[in-house]
Amino acid sequence: MLEIAGLQVAYGAIRAVRDVSLTLAEGELVTLLGANGAGKSSTLMCIAGALPAAAGAIRLEGQDVTAARPEVMARRGVATVPETRDVFPDLTVDENLQLGAYTRRNDTKGVAEDRTRMFGMFPVLAERSSQPAGTLSGGEQQMLVIARAMMSRPRILLLDEPSLGLAPTIVNRIFEMIATLKGSGLTILLVEQNASKALEVADRAYVMRLGKIEAEGTAAEIAAATDLKALYLAG
Amino acid sequence: MARNLTTIAVLSGLILVMVVATNLLGVRLFDRLAINLCISLVLVLGLQVFMGNSGILSFAHIGFMGIGAYTTAVLTIPVRMKGMSLPDLYPIVAGIELSPYVAILVGGLTAAAVAAVVSYPLMRLSDAAAVITSFALLVVLHTVMTHWSEVTNGPRTLFGLPRATDLNLAAGTAILAIVAAVAFKESRAGLLLRSSRDDEVAAGAMGAHIPRLRWQAFILSALFAGIGGALWGHFITSFSPKAFFLKETFVILGMLVIGGASTVTGAVFGAIIVTVTFESLRALEAGINQAKIFSEQVIGLTEIVLALAMIVVLVLRPGGLFATQEIGALLWRRARKKEDR
Amino acid sequence: MSFFLQFMIDVLSLGGAYALMALGLVIVYGILRLVNFAYGELIMVAGYTMYLTSGSGLPWLVMAAVAVLMAIMAGIATDYIAFRPVRAKSVTAVLITSFAFSTLLQNAALLFISPRPRNVPLPEIFSETVQFAGVITPARNLITIATAVVMLGLFSWLMRHTVLGIAMRAAATNFTMARMLGVPANLIISSAFAISGLLAGVVSMLWIGRVGAVVPGVGLEPLLIAFIATVIGGMRSLQGAVLGGFLLAFMDITLNFTLPQDLLKFRDAFTFSLVILILLWRPQGLIRGPASGQRT
Ligand SMILES: Nc1ncnc2c1ncn2[C@@H]1O[C@H](COP(=O)(O)OP(=O)(O)OP(=O)(O)O)[C@@H](O)[C@H]1O
Ligand SMILES: [Mg+2]
Repeated sequence: MLEIAGLQVAYGAIRAVRDVSLTLAEGELVTLLGANGAGKSSTLMCIAGALPAAAGAIRLEGQDVTAARPEVMARRGVATVPETRDVFPDLTVDENLQLGAYTRRNDTKGVAEDRTRMFGMFPVLAERSSQPAGTLSGGEQQMLVIARAMMSRPRILLLDEPSLGLAPTIVNRIFEMIATLKGSGLTILLVEQNASKALEVADRAYVMRLGKIEAEGTAAEIAAATDLKALYLAG
Repeated sequence: MARNLTTIAVLSGLILVMVVATNLLGVRLFDRLAINLCISLVLVLGLQVFMGNSGILSFAHIGFMGIGAYTTAVLTIPVRMKGMSLPDLYPIVAGIELSPYVAILVGGLTAAAVAAVVSYPLMRLSDAAAVITSFALLVVLHTVMTHWSEVTNGPRTLFGLPRATDLNLAAGTAILAIVAAVAFKESRAGLLLRSSRDDEVAAGAMGAHIPRLRWQAFILSALFAGIGGALWGHFITSFSPKAFFLKETFVILGMLVIGGASTVTGAVFGAIIVTVTFESLRALEAGINQAKIFSEQVIGLTEIVLALAMIVVLVLRPGGLFATQEIGALLWRRARKKEDR
Repeated sequence: MSFFLQFMIDVLSLGGAYALMALGLVIVYGILRLVNFAYGELIMVAGYTMYLTSGSGLPWLVMAAVAVLMAIMAGIATDYIAFRPVRAKSVTAVLITSFAFSTLLQNAALLFISPRPRNVPLPEIFSETVQFAGVITPARNLITIATAVVMLGLFSWLMRHTVLGIAMRAAATNFTMARMLGVPANLIISSAFAISGLLAGVVSMLWIGRVGAVVPGVGLEPLLIAFIATVIGGMRSLQGAVLGGFLLAFMDITLNFTLPQDLLKFRDAFTFSLVILILLWRPQGLIRGPASGQRT
């Protein structure tokens, strides 16, 4: 469904991503692991269209989307949850969700249904629906960002470290949620530091180091490779 | 070093050639044009010293030009004329009548002193806040010039300055300004400031106190502006505060942007190109007006052309004609290439 | 009592106009971080449209609607000519192109129309006065207040209850994230410029209605007012801009009553020194806007 070949991303002289090739099949949950600064987030943001690719190609269902703008990627069914947990702080929870459904804003009925569904999945958000999103706790904001991404009924979800900075119980909730989403047939690319958790839910995994893919395999293979664990996986 | 000297030599050489040619031709019109050009050069180089090195857009520059012009006016208008041109002037200064050459220098120093006092706290601002404060500073200076009747004759035209600016004086000052601008750019302060333009954090880490460096550049820039304004005053001999506001700001900024703000060469070439184009267009406007082709006066054509040129340059060549390298460096590189061959 | 009422009407009518001016500037600044120097010229464009259509015999309201439409078009033209081609380059470049575009429009008016003031048609009611509760006030002031209320209400409804408005508020805090949700950058940018033009056009009718004539430099004062109000109100907050407009009007009118004549002429110097001081104290303006944000 998504194919990336020889991707490079640079911030001025800093080459954050040097050579990344990966594939994501329909309905698959693939995790991208690696230590801090490996270039995982840069890869993800480049797929989302928020960063320009310096070289390489990104193909979505066979079509070249390497230079596509972020709004085009969203329209094509790619939803992104960035690492920086970007809720719109002065918009209410409800307004945040409404914007999540921007690409299908004419389908009022469907949007209303999804909103109810999201509130069912995250009851906290229902309680806070008219509160500015900036006043939510970190965990609540993370839930909101995931819910917001789901409001577009994406076909591919790009998730960047959803567990970052959250308490273990909430991390567990989030991973349960990811498993549920996968169960519903969604294709997911999950960037994680928390390798053990990620490998529990993932089908396949890639390991990145210094901007390059260093290893790949099924989740079980990567989990079993003890040498990799020592080298790249924190936690 | 050799490159910087080459830059200075080439740019000053241009001015010298112009002076010699003007003297040989002996046409009054060219004389006027050449003096105008040299004064613009001093002003543009002043703006370049600040903007080119710090990367911050400043609107206040022309205000300091005004300070220079009014300072020299108060100091040089003959005592017997002061009763007419500045009837309300404070008695303490009313009796002063300095030589214009001294007064031009005092004008520059006054502008620099005012800049030193008001600008220090402004220098830690960047982005929109910096732009709006510099704009606000221009409005403040303009308002003061327009209403401080005792010293400026208010919004009315102030007249009676002795005509002291000739081509030699203007050209000499312009050459000094070129030397000073290159020297500042290559000084330690200039280098640090330029690296702060690209990366504020890194320059800070190199031990640079950036607001202080910007402040130094701003004072030097105001000194140029003050001297330029005073020279202009002694050239035009009568002016009003209107001469030191947005229109003039736009012209000077246009010269710098078209030539290239980051280089002294850019400032010089920008001034030359814009002045020559401007004078030609003005002549065209005057011709059309004289021929009475249209019922209304044709004015504003020059500004329209300049505005379009600025937009085109910023779109197609954002750094201006000389974006990064001085002419000296360009010539040396070319010479090197020839040797290699 | 009647003095108080008079004072309130003065403050509210001047403040209403100021608030609309500030809002038109801040809607673009908040989203694009662009200080639009050509903003005053949108007001000028609307004024000259009134002058040019004055012989047409159309009802005043139709002419005013055409004028506002032209201001909107001029706003969108600012986007296409001065902003879009340089937006990916430096902040300074965008500022300079907007300054250049301002000069371009002003001088086009000089060249193609005239440097001298041109009369614009005014409806009868603009020159009438109203008397109630012991105060006599120009009907224009009441119209200004009413227009400001309607426009502010409309604006607030747009920003809170339409998807476009919500998307614009979102883009003001985090443009990239808004785009990643599918909000097209160009739509947001053009809308911001169009709304800016709409506000400028409406303000123009009120502002030029005070003197009944338009000159090429007519936009400078509204631009300066919008600057001050915006800085007072916190440069990125929409509510702040409105509040700033009313505060500035309050300050202006109070100074008019209290300052002696020979200091009053320095009023601009005082207000702009105040602007500098505010920015030194709080570079983000007095009232905090949205927390984070970046340029596109
Ligand atoms: N905006 C930026 N400007 C300059 N360099 C950047 C920028 N963003 C990231 N980098 C650099 O690019 C490299 C890769 O960063 P990236 O955020 O992609 O890593 P990551 O794998 O997501 O790390 P983490 O697990 O800590 O989130 C790092 O060296 C980082 O310092
Ligand atoms: Mg990351």
